[in-house]
Amino acid sequence: MFKRILLVACALFLVATCAALAADAKTLTCIGPWSGAEMEAFVPVLQAFEKETGIKVDYRIYRAEDLSAQLPAQFSAKTAPGDVIFMWSWFVAKQGEAGHAMDLTGLIKDSDYLPGSLDGLKVRGKLYGIAYTGKVKPGFWYRKSFFQKHGLTPPTTWDEFTALLDKIAKIPGIKAPIASGNGVGWPLSDVTEHFIATFGGPQLHKELTAGTIAWTDPVVKGIFEGRLVPLLKAKRFGEPVEWTQALELWWQGDYGLYFMGSWITGMVKDPSDLGVFSLPGARGIVFGADYAFVPAYTKHPEEAKKLIQFLATKGQEVQVTKGGHIATYTKVPLDAYPPVDRGVAELLTGRVALADMDDTIGGEFQAAFWDQLKLLWVKPDRYGEVLETLEKKAP
Amino acid sequence: MKERFFRPLFFVPALVLLAAFVIYPVVNTVWLSFLSPKGDFVALDNYAKVLSQPEMVDPRGFERGFPYGALIHNFMWLVIHLPLTVLLGLALAVALRRVRGGSIIKSTVFLGMVTPMIVGGIILRFMFDGSIGIVPSIVRLFGGTPHTLTAYPETALLSLILGSLWLWVPFGMVLYSAGLETIPSEVYEAAMIDGASPLSMFFNITFPLLKPITEVVVTMTFLWDLKIFDVVYAATMGGPGGASNVLALQMYFYAFREFNANNAAVVACVLMALTTLVAAPMMIRSAREAR
Repeated sequence: MFKRILLVACALFLVATCAALAADAKTLTCIGPWSGAEMEAFVPVLQAFEKETGIKVDYRIYRAEDLSAQLPAQFSAKTAPGDVIFMWSWFVAKQGEAGHAMDLTGLIKDSDYLPGSLDGLKVRGKLYGIAYTGKVKPGFWYRKSFFQKHGLTPPTTWDEFTALLDKIAKIPGIKAPIASGNGVGWPLSDVTEHFIATFGGPQLHKELTAGTIAWTDPVVKGIFEGRLVPLLKAKRFGEPVEWTQALELWWQGDYGLYFMGSWITGMVKDPSDLGVFSLPGARGIVFGADYAFVPAYTKHPEEAKKLIQFLATKGQEVQVTKGGHIATYTKVPLDAYPPVDRGVAELLTGRVALADMDDTIGGEFQAAFWDQLKLLWVKPDRYGEVLETLEKKAP
Repeated sequence: MKERFFRPLFFVPALVLLAAFVIYPVVNTVWLSFLSPKGDFVALDNYAKVLSQPEMVDPRGFERGFPYGALIHNFMWLVIHLPLTVLLGLALAVALRRVRGGSIIKSTVFLGMVTPMIVGGIILRFMFDGSIGIVPSIVRLFGGTPHTLTAYPETALLSLILGSLWLWVPFGMVLYSAGLETIPSEVYEAAMIDGASPLSMFFNITFPLLKPITEVVVTMTFLWDLKIFDVVYAATMGGPGGASNVLALQMYFYAFREFNANNAAVVACVLMALTTLVAAPMMIRSAREAR
């Protein structure tokens, strides 16, 4: 009998030792929104971190929209589903203020980053997150081969732009000159922001973000009335289609132009066939960075800090080599970028980099902005009602 | 004596679980609906505020069309989806009763019921997609111009209501199929001897004898229509411009977009009141029958 008890005790000891050893080999969980081709470009960053530190990282995909519902409940219970989580800047700041995000002040140097890129993550001087790489939303992408085939050239004035749309509309087999990406709604907000930044100037974009000017203001109304709505009424924008599907359709020639962020260069078969132009006269360009934070309830705070520091610095260099991303970390050398991304970076020259409006404001405005633009795209006559609703939801 | 003493003790674990996971959350939700975000008691102010929002009821809809507000949209779900679910469920059960291979067809139809609602919502989004959807393809086949039906305010809600029939009709079909098996064949034989037509047998025998099943199907569908969330969330997120918004989704927006638990609690209480209104008669009847 004694022998049996001893045997069981030994077995239990062995299991406990193995479990303790397994627990000691810490594995961090990194949560991000990227799947498919975007994930394939991100995983090498985590692999580089594993190689450098010996700390394992498990990557999980969650959309920010889903995380916004899950995280508050988890944080209330003082738990977190991951050690480093990619999320909207407004959400990070809000959670930092509530004590749910780790204070990262001093972990990175402000001066090493693009001006303003860390602003949205700070509350009363404390930094609660990091800015990862960003994506520029420079304008309308086209296939050089498509333009060549149909004798088209990028426009330099508004009249040339509308004339270009007229020409594309007449090409047989074209559904509409510009593809409209749909999904939760952000592709439509990106193109709308571009119109605001171009025809209202960077200052108007900033004021709308800050909530110091009304959406019903004649200046804002004028941009919708005079620029965007006429194009929508004339069917120059196609019917909203799920954005990755719109990308396929545009690439195969169903549409001539597609307004999208710089990540497009990592999503097409031949990036060298890509060309891009901003709306003529654009003085500001939206630069949307991805942000990450460490929840206060991580079980591995030191390791998580190491990972987030890596993502904020060396990780960005690895990421930009995969295409489609622009670093917020200014120490990333220019030759790390693929040629097509260097072209995108050139578009920023002489223009004001603007924070993505809906990502910065967040909350109910973000959802309303996306949803109201979906309505505007199919019912352009109702722009007055759309602007009134946006004004109600604005900060 | 001992048995009488110990018997109530066995209820304790269940009562504890019920209190922790049902009674406490319900009471707390009701209480939250009377508080301001700062925690002050505001009586019915939250109800007045939430119910007067255009997201809940939008009277402008009666002039310009969709959106009408989440409450009206849920009412539309009930008016259209409920009778169609009952009729199609019954029709399928009756039609497939004596058909060769009927059980295989029923199993196929039942697939909709076992599909997770969130997946169902995504499938619906693609079903109505102008480029690749099956519904616009049929429109194209008949010479029409295909459109993404979920992208337009006037068709978004109707698309979801009609599209979701395949997800819920199997429930009615299965219940009616089980109910049909309980009707004694002698009743039909007697009716046939008396010269009753199939139609008259349906209206005078089948339908009346299936009344308890119909009550269950109507009640459950009513509840399903009121709490509809996943399908709308995945297919349209309540858009465009709130044209397919529903109460449960609006509750989600209040809770996880505005982080306003009090407004979300108001919508939850409205939903609870409506569901109780329908579920109570069935529960009372069940209790009476049990007695």
